[in-house]
Amino acid sequence: MAYRIISPRIGTPGELWEPEVWVNVHALVKGGFIESTDTKPTPDKPAKAKVSKKAAPDATSAQE
Amino acid sequence: MATSTYLSNPIVTVNSVDLSDQCTAATFTHRFDQLESTAFGDTARKYVAGLGNHEVTLSLYMSYAATETYATLASLVGTTTTVRVQPAAPPDSATNPGFVLTGAFLAELPVINATMGELSTVDVTFVGGTYSVDTTV
Repeated sequence: MAYRIISPRIGTPGELWEPEVWVNVHALVKGGFIESTDTKPTPDKPAKAKVSKKAAPDATSAQE
Repeated sequence: MATSTYLSNPIVTVNSVDLSDQCTAATFTHRFDQLESTAFGDTARKYVAGLGNHEVTLSLYMSYAATETYATLASLVGTTTTVRVQPAAPPDSATNPGFVLTGAFLAELPVINATMGELSTVDVTFVGGTYSVDTTV
């Protein structure tokens, strides 16, 4: 996973950052020093149910 | 002349975070448990090295502002991380070695050490881990 620098205490803000071994990445993210470059996926909207404008065959036959 | 005077040059990083401007003292101890190996026939005590038992103690100004001391250390309590202390700014060299403790454990963090009229400071100690020295770029 790639990370982007937020705080100048880590490096140049905006640059990509690769964690070294034994670096506690979770603590850096929680402390606001870096952020994940992965964009959060937008939740898929449920497909709208198609509404048929045609009257049901039974209803049509009932009118006749 | 075997002296080292530290003014503002040392570089201190904890978990890759540069805390040099919050640090007033750093003690990095390279240590091994000493195991006695004295036996019959010896006329003096003898010792051999046991497990490495290194530690780093830092004196830091406590700041609760964003990306400062507390934000750096709070999430590290009870975990392991890397601490690096270097006598002067990079590059690494034989005369400016970077001392590194990898996988060091932070057991405790004094979250408040307040005295009226004084800047708040805390001492934190990282123990254990693997000791190494960077002397090349």
